Amino acid sequence: MSQPAIRLEDVSFAYEKEKVLEDISLTVDRGEFLGIIGPNGSGKSTLVKLILHLLKPQKGKIEVFGESIEFLKDRSVIGYVSQKANTFQRGFPATVREVVASGLYGKLGLFRWMRKQDWEKVDQAIEQVGLTSLAHRNMGKLSGGQQQRAFIARALVSDPQLLILDEPTVGVDAKSQEQLYELLTHLHQQKQLTLLLVTHDIYSILSVVDRMACLNKRLLFYGTIDEFAKHDQEILSQLFGEGHGTLSITLSKGQKQLV
Amino acid sequence: MLREIAEMLQFEFMQRALIAGVIVGFICPLIGIFLVVRRLSLIAEALSHVSLSGVATGLFLQKEWGWLVGIHPVYVGMLFSVIGSLFVEKMRKLYHSYQELALPILLSGGMGIGVVLISAAGGFNADVAGYLFGSIVAVKEEQLTTVAMIGIMVSLFVFVFYKQLFSLSFDEENAILTGIPHRVVNLVFIVMVGLVISSAIQVVGILLVSSLITLPVAVSLQIANSFRQAIIYAIIFAEIAVLIGFFAAYSLNLASGGAIVLVSVLIWLMVVMFKRIRLIFNRKGFRRE
Ligand SMILES: Nc1ncnc2c1ncn2[C@@H]1O[C@H](COP(=O)(O)OP(=O)(O)OP(=O)(O)O)[C@@H](O)[C@H]1O
Ligand SMILES: [Mg+2]
Repeated sequence: MSQPAIRLEDVSFAYEKEKVLEDISLTVDRGEFLGIIGPNGSGKSTLVKLILHLLKPQKGKIEVFGESIEFLKDRSVIGYVSQKANTFQRGFPATVREVVASGLYGKLGLFRWMRKQDWEKVDQAIEQVGLTSLAHRNMGKLSGGQQQRAFIARALVSDPQLLILDEPTVGVDAKSQEQLYELLTHLHQQKQLTLLLVTHDIYSILSVVDRMACLNKRLLFYGTIDEFAKHDQEILSQLFGEGHGTLSITLSKGQKQLV
Repeated sequence: MLREIAEMLQFEFMQRALIAGVIVGFICPLIGIFLVVRRLSLIAEALSHVSLSGVATGLFLQKEWGWLVGIHPVYVGMLFSVIGSLFVEKMRKLYHSYQELALPILLSGGMGIGVVLISAAGGFNADVAGYLFGSIVAVKEEQLTTVAMIGIMVSLFVFVFYKQLFSLSFDEENAILTGIPHRVVNLVFIVMVGLVISSAIQVVGILLVSSLITLPVAVSLQIANSFRQAIIYAIIFAEIAVLIGFFAAYSLNLASGGAIVLVSVLIWLMVVMFKRIRLIFNRKGFRRE
């Protein structure tokens, strides 16, 4: 039972010739909340797709809940909100409820229809993200932040043990962002959900995550936030280049929160 | 009016035509909705042209070498349409981010082969016109059976695979992730598209078939809120178009395929205008408040 939620061992990946990720090894324990940061193009989304088995590594091993990802039978243990989630077609004729329900379809399999208890789960997930009043609204008629929450509900509806979010706060206002982090913290504590959050938002996540991974093709730092706070200047200048003024400012704000 | 309809339905060929029309009016939008929301509605156009080359091949082989004499050219068209659909799926995978790239190739290729073989088989005659523009009254009993079988197959497929089709249409990546058997469902779906097109050809003709697949969906997308509604409205609009077009064609002596498509266009116009007018009124009310 004490197998980690995610285990990567010497994982390397290249889309074409050039390596995008090199020798990544990390272990995420069950119930842990991990934040992943790194500059644009540093391979964050690629790492996530490797864990989801949407891409296959050229080298290395990936395990989720102790099983090699290729052989993971029950896909519904992982929930995923993609970076591109809200670039779906605005004109698509589907309500929030229909979209959230589709998160169950893989688990239900071929010949089973949605039953009453399945719809109850759907409504619960919608309630969790605070969209109950909009459940029957067309997806295209929601704001960006509301859509994002609908996609989180779709990821939650199959009761995953691991939830992966790739930059869920892009294009979301400060208040919704705060609500989102509150929701994630709540899920993390209540359901012992393992969370993996990719973001550029170093300042806000310092107060919510347990550990931090800093990525730029290689894993430059991986550890608890206390460790991170000790070496933050070093890590961040290594990560984003020397003399990155704005970032050190945002970080000192974050540190204030930590103390 | 009612008497005229009753009189018309006394003819057996008219009954057959009507049944074929109603079946096709059901399955075209049922499949069409998934094509439209996946931005693949051009597939219908391309496959109809591939069917044309199949029909032409059938005509040519009959005329020149006396092959396939017992086989209706529609079936050769069907075969081509299904093979064409498999080709589309192959190309769709090959050009992941330009999924529609295969279609112009198929479209022009099919048209080219069709035209060449038709002229080699004796040029454009009434028979050929029937395939191009549809001759619903020429539907034989055997063809009606085929259309009915395809109708049942397609309806069953959409009914059983509704969840999978919805997921794949809304978000293919997420569908794959949640473990939906995407390869199988996509493959069977595209073959169904091929079958629907070759059966609809007999009602509205090669040149108009894609409009029966996409127009009712275009109307329903204007007003539908949910996916379920979108399907139901599209089917209702298609059936209205088929029935009105069919009776109009009979009593005014028009080409049935053209009449059906024209009614679809009219419905589309009416809905778009209705929506605009309602919007204007709503805004007026808003101002007054
Ligand atoms: N489909 C692809 N084909 C080829 N190269 C790709 C592809 N997707 C990403 N890359 C390359 O891989 C590298 C890592 O991309 P990735 O999307 O993982 O970055 P990221 O850290 O998520 O960036 P961002 O912060 O902008 O989301 C980039 O250099 C990018 O150019
Ligand atoms: Mg990314």
